[in-house]
Amino acid sequence: MTQTFGFKQSGHLDPALSDPATRMLNADKLTGRWVNTSPETQGLAEILIEQDGERFSVSALGVGEDDPIAWPRTNATALANLEEEAGQRAFALTASFDFGFMTAETYLRVNKGVLVIVVYHRFRDDSLRSNYVNREFFYRHD
Amino acid sequence: MQFAQIRDRVKTETESDGPIDLSALAGTWVNSNPDTNGIARMVITQSGANLSLRAHAIGPEGLIDWGTVDIQVFTSAPSSRISAGFTCLYDFGFAETRLQAMILKGLIVLAQIHRFKDDSKRMDFFVREYFALDHGRY
Repeated sequence: MTQTFGFKQSGHLDPALSDPATRMLNADKLTGRWVNTSPETQGLAEILIEQDGERFSVSALGVGEDDPIAWPRTNATALANLEEEAGQRAFALTASFDFGFMTAETYLRVNKGVLVIVVYHRFRDDSLRSNYVNREFFYRHD
Repeated sequence: MQFAQIRDRVKTETESDGPIDLSALAGTWVNSNPDTNGIARMVITQSGANLSLRAHAIGPEGLIDWGTVDIQVFTSAPSSRISAGFTCLYDFGFAETRLQAMILKGLIVLAQIHRFKDDSKRMDFFVREYFALDHGRY
């Protein structure tokens, strides 16, 4: 019996997405404690990525005035990242943080041993701040 | 002012509170990879203070029109008024695709987060590609 899949691009039909081996990719390159490569960052100082079976979570420390500000642990969605450089297969993650006054929608991936996080900040208060996107880099520090 | 990182503690001057400059995003953006099996072209159109996006993706038998959606614009800093990225969502029923874009060195770096909602057991996946503005000068 032939199964017909819905698609809106050829990428939706990539056989690797249905390959059980894709779900079994090793996430060791992603999990652990990561420290910002910039000691002068005014954003995130650290990121912690944890795995429990097929579940991932992300927490972080933002740079505060005196002390770090905890970004509470949030569930992350694991994504097959099939087209990273050199054709390597890996996981990427997406996670959202909700602070009430602000939401932060993120994606995280590892490229050549460096964790890259892109954060889309959306303000929900009346501070007149612009919603903004930024990118930061982290090195492993287990 | 509440903040979760010191970068977000900024002064918001009333004189800078004008509309966000959307000009960096508007236009036709073409995938730098001619062999992509994803989005081939994006057309971003300004209408007043809003932007909309129409994407065309590569299908097995030619381009597939994804239709037009509104996009949410992002700057590069909480005090900036210049567009530097966007997000939007396509809901296809069997799957949804969230696009997260940022401008880097004149290119749009587009992250695509595909989540399947059907029972096909396909794994959710991530693609990151580059798009150049079709400026028509050369």
